Amino acid sequence: MRCYLCALDGKTTEAVAICIVCGMGVCMDHLVRDEIEVWEGGYPFPSKKLKRKLPRILCKPCYAVYHEG
Amino acid sequence: MSLAKRCLAELIGTAILVYFGAGAAAITLMISKGSSPPNPFNIGIGALGGLGDWFAIGMAFAIAIAGVIYALGRVSGAHINPAVTIALWATRRFPSGDVVPYIVAQLIGASLGSLLFAASAGSDAVMVGGLGATAPFPGISFGQAVLAEAMGTFLLMMVIMGVAVDERAPQGFAGLIIGLTVGGVITTTGNIAGSSLNPARTFGPYLIDHIMGGPVLWSHYPIYVIGPVLGALVAAFLYDMLARE
Repeated sequence: MRCYLCALDGKTTEAVAICIVCGMGVCMDHLVRDEIEVWEGGYPFPSKKLKRKLPRILCKPCYAVYHEG
Repeated sequence: MSLAKRCLAELIGTAILVYFGAGAAAITLMISKGSSPPNPFNIGIGALGGLGDWFAIGMAFAIAIAGVIYALGRVSGAHINPAVTIALWATRRFPSGDVVPYIVAQLIGASLGSLLFAASAGSDAVMVGGLGATAPFPGISFGQAVLAEAMGTFLLMMVIMGVAVDERAPQGFAGLIIGLTVGGVITTTGNIAGSSLNPARTFGPYLIDHIMGGPVLWSHYPIYVIGPVLGALVAAFLYDMLARE
């Protein structure tokens, strides 16, 4: 699979990941590896934040929508 | 989450429970003041709408409990009831070191809730409404009152185990169902011993009534410790036995 965003610029770059939101293939230059906190528990026990975060890969346009609105 | 923050959440949650729940009982007595109850088993709650009075009080508790569970459940677990804390500890689900701080926070919160209600509603809330304190109704013995409180708390704890503690339970319903369960129990058993189901819920009104010159009811307090704790313990252990593969 090729990077979709590179293809829009007329370049052919091998994709290394797929955006978890929109599903496009992206190269290293067009992805953001985000980490989200994971909580477990809840009523009737206090929630606990797990030590390790959950990684996810987004393309830069989707990351921008999530973080900038 | 630190123990201090969790205890503060328990304090706030129990204060809300007592302010809005026990407060509804006090308001009902204040509204019915001067009316003629139809029989000696009626002390005023029921003079206006029969069992509907208890249903209204039960719904006030139900909505307050649901709100507290949804708002603070993730912070402290929103036990807001020493009987629930003790039952979760006894079944090895809650750390021993947190039990006493939780119960102290619940007792302080309940007292604060009663104090704030008295400040909101005036002296009649104490002198007429008794701040919604619970006591056995005329003709109800100590044993009957303990049994009614144990039965009510048994159902409450059984529901907590089934809809919240059990990992197989559907998500998101706990607050609503647990609140409505308390509301239903109050509707049925309120006119037996007040349907406290909670040692803290009774402690707060007792303490503030005592301090502010209202009824002194401490001789009844063992009912509201023995009944709820016994009912919650039996429910928790029985549920574990029933649900085990």
